[in-house]
Amino acid sequence: MATTASRTIAALAAVGALTLSLAGCVTGSQDRSSSTPTAGGSTGEIAKDHSGTVRIIMESVNDTDVIESLIPEFNKEYPNISIDIDSMVYDQMRDKIVASVQSPEPAYDLFATDNPWFTDFSQAGFLQPLDERIAATPDFDNADYFQPLLDITTVDGVQYGVPYMNYAVGYVYRKDVFADAGLEVPGTLDELVTTVKSLTKDGKYGIALQPQRGYKIMEEWVGWLFAAGGSVYDAEGNASLDTPEAHKALEAYIDVFNNAAPKNSLNWMFDDAQRSVASGDSASLISYNFALPLLNEEGGISGDRAGEFTLVPMIGGKSVLGSWSWSIPTNSGDPDAAWAFVSWLGSKDVDAQRVIAGGSPVRESTLEREDVLTEGYGADYLNAIKAMLANSDQISHGANSEEMIQAVGTELNEAVAGTKSVDQALKDANAAIIRIQGE
Amino acid sequence: MTSDKKFGVLMITPLVVVLIAAVGYPVATSLNLSVTDFTLTSKNVQNIGMENYAAAFSDTPFWEALWTTTAYTVLAVSIELILGIAIAAALVKQKRWVNITRSVLISPMFIAPIAVGLMFRFLLNGQSGAISKTLAALGIDHDFFGSGNVLYTLVGMDVWQWTPFMVLLMLAGMLSMPTAPLEAARVDGAGALYRLRRVLLPMLRPTITVALVLRALDAMRVFEYVFATTKGGPGTESVTVQYFIYQRGIQFFDLGYASALAFIVLAIVAVIVLVFARRVVRQHG
Amino acid sequence: MVEQRFSRILRSTWIAAGILTIVLPMMWIVIASLKSPADLTDATKIAFTPTGENWANALASGLPAALLRSLIVGVVVVAVSLVVGVPGAYALARYGVGGTPLGFVLLMAQVLPPAVLVFPFLRLSHLLKTNGTIAALIPAHISFVLPVVVWLLIGFFASVPVSIEEQARIDGKSRLGAFWSVVIPHVRPGIGAACVFGFSLSWNDMFYSLILVPGSAQTLPLTIAGFNTFRGIELGTMSAAILLASIPMLIATFFIQKHLVQGLGGNGVKY
Repeated sequence: MATTASRTIAALAAVGALTLSLAGCVTGSQDRSSSTPTAGGSTGEIAKDHSGTVRIIMESVNDTDVIESLIPEFNKEYPNISIDIDSMVYDQMRDKIVASVQSPEPAYDLFATDNPWFTDFSQAGFLQPLDERIAATPDFDNADYFQPLLDITTVDGVQYGVPYMNYAVGYVYRKDVFADAGLEVPGTLDELVTTVKSLTKDGKYGIALQPQRGYKIMEEWVGWLFAAGGSVYDAEGNASLDTPEAHKALEAYIDVFNNAAPKNSLNWMFDDAQRSVASGDSASLISYNFALPLLNEEGGISGDRAGEFTLVPMIGGKSVLGSWSWSIPTNSGDPDAAWAFVSWLGSKDVDAQRVIAGGSPVRESTLEREDVLTEGYGADYLNAIKAMLANSDQISHGANSEEMIQAVGTELNEAVAGTKSVDQALKDANAAIIRIQGE
Repeated sequence: MTSDKKFGVLMITPLVVVLIAAVGYPVATSLNLSVTDFTLTSKNVQNIGMENYAAAFSDTPFWEALWTTTAYTVLAVSIELILGIAIAAALVKQKRWVNITRSVLISPMFIAPIAVGLMFRFLLNGQSGAISKTLAALGIDHDFFGSGNVLYTLVGMDVWQWTPFMVLLMLAGMLSMPTAPLEAARVDGAGALYRLRRVLLPMLRPTITVALVLRALDAMRVFEYVFATTKGGPGTESVTVQYFIYQRGIQFFDLGYASALAFIVLAIVAVIVLVFARRVVRQHG
Repeated sequence: MVEQRFSRILRSTWIAAGILTIVLPMMWIVIASLKSPADLTDATKIAFTPTGENWANALASGLPAALLRSLIVGVVVVAVSLVVGVPGAYALARYGVGGTPLGFVLLMAQVLPPAVLVFPFLRLSHLLKTNGTIAALIPAHISFVLPVVVWLLIGFFASVPVSIEEQARIDGKSRLGAFWSVVIPHVRPGIGAACVFGFSLSWNDMFYSLILVPGSAQTLPLTIAGFNTFRGIELGTMSAAILLASIPMLIATFFIQKHLVQGLGGNGVKY
């Protein structure tokens, strides 16, 4: 026995020594060249005969389909640039992007970048600054993008992204159910609570919530926080979740979860809540603005309830804002071709064409155009989005947003589950923000 | 060196070479990372010695995740073993429809865990899930993903998918056993329970040990079910070690620290295996 | 007599319960794959007009290509594992080369989380110039398939009596010849069982495919996870995809289960 044990230890030691020496060679290549912007000379207007390939990573959502459908138009102008969209579900995107930037040869030349990633990615040197390109591109009206969307793409005064899709979160409800009950759209948080409670009867629910741990509850509840007059950070940028407004918002949320939301929905996320309203079980939900066309689609998930849904900004007026923007990775194989595509797609006429085809609005001027308002998803929907963009904020600012959102979202979920008091959960959430993002 | 030994070394060399490339290299790299402050977003990497390991010891959520994983593994593997023996014992005596029955009973282990996770996510959904709806019609109100229940739900998925593994191994073990001792006990008038405890189980023991070791190590790696259903919630109730290390190392970029956590887990499991399954390991060498 | 009959009924009921537990969830998947989006919102609805749209969508979604990729990766990984694993396991079992420590390392290789190994594997794929292709997955899959295969094989080889090998040597066969023509036939069912296990491990893996290959080269499990989108509910297509991914394995199970039971039995899995 003793010999076996000592042999085992000896062998493990040998393996350990071997692995360490191996690791020595391995980690020699760890110093990453921080930035090698290949862009030199004219960075703005890309020659029409430029030839190359742009591999793009995007989320598989409707907007991606719309953009994909515009590629033939793009190729009329740039016949030698081939666009190769790799679309996948959200959960997989960030991992793949991080893998691509860790690689000497990138897998992608252009990223769709979500708003919480900007600070981390730009500070890590993953993204190329775009200011020069933007300035050097004729007729590229950067200031025309909605300001909150530009703010998202700008870190320390440098712009790293060009917006192409917003997913501001609003209130979606059934017009017919509200009309039958003689109810108006609630104007305040208190009214929201009483309205959805009064709609909860006979096996139907007033609202389908999405309290899943992490991202989901955070994205939903911060809207309630805004409605209660609170905010995630105070004017100085410090964490402000341990406030009376936050208490009120979380208590209202829990009240509604227990009394006006489907039973056993503690783990629900986007699709569960959407299915609940689509099936007619729930009368409303708080969701991304693009949920509306999905719910109202003829022959879609809502069956004969299609067309009965409508969208308004989050109750109380201030909406949670998320957005996707184009950004060019530092190690992009062909940044010029990537910019050719981004700047072409962002030009005003193409942008209008994109929104008419069902894409998400990001430019102010696009929403002024007659053809957009009449041909697309309709003026009501687009004007609701316009109102949402005008008064909105992200759920997290600055570095380590992913970790912050997961941590705060876990505390909120515990309060809803009843495993933590509202008081304790908010204290812990506030402490988590300070720990993760600094004072 | 005897020529026998020489031949043995020759035969094992390719295996060792491939193991060094496919296991040694990544393990060495991450072992090296575990003593650095490497993050996926950092530009300068510094050696910080044992700091990551020291920090891990006061990382309560990590130890909670390890505890959750342990409870999950012990619960799932014991249920699977008991069910596996019971089902295999019934299958041994079965005469008709043998092939189709056995194929169905072992089939779940060949479905991707992510598919199993997603399937149960929809079947067990609080309102619209077919199982929940059926239970509700019977007057049973159960939140499968609610606080206090979620771990059992995940264990249930594991049992659904992996009891077949136990059935397969136990069945193979039983069929390869000599039948004489069981017959003798029966002739002597021994009761069913006696035959099980004193004859069947002792004879099956080698198979059981191997099955337990393989299954337990695999159950500890549970990731897909959590990824597909709860993302670790409610609160942190269903955060398993694999999910915790994934979040820390990849989602929060903290790969150096996550590597240290991985090696702590490795050390703990190694000690457990050396203490409890020493014989299995020795006989396999 | 009565007691025997009673126990037979009990046994059949027990087996039937097991089968139902396995088949009912699968049936639901089959039904879901035939429902239209609107019908899917009511999970327990039985009366509906079946649609083939989900299956058409799943077939058009790149799933068949992903299936092929998973198949290629699985076959290559199992082949490599056998080529190096069979002689290695034999040397371990017959001559004790490597001894307990190697057996232990093989076991422990399965403990480390993919999350910390995946970036080293990513770097390895760049060193080997396999990045961006399914070849990048092969070393990663070997890292968890090979140890299990070898571990199972050691048991099988250990159960072959040394005497039959010695007899072959006396008959004038070389060591390699005796191994090839006498020992291998004895453990062939066991090798088959190890193949099936190894293949299913590779076939089922999602995590490495998530990081190591771009979406255009992803394997089956990730394609299935890919229907869980923010686009809305693609429950029907996902159900069809799950079935498409599982059916080949289920058919294979029917044909190989007898050999599996045989291979793992016959004093195969022992210590």
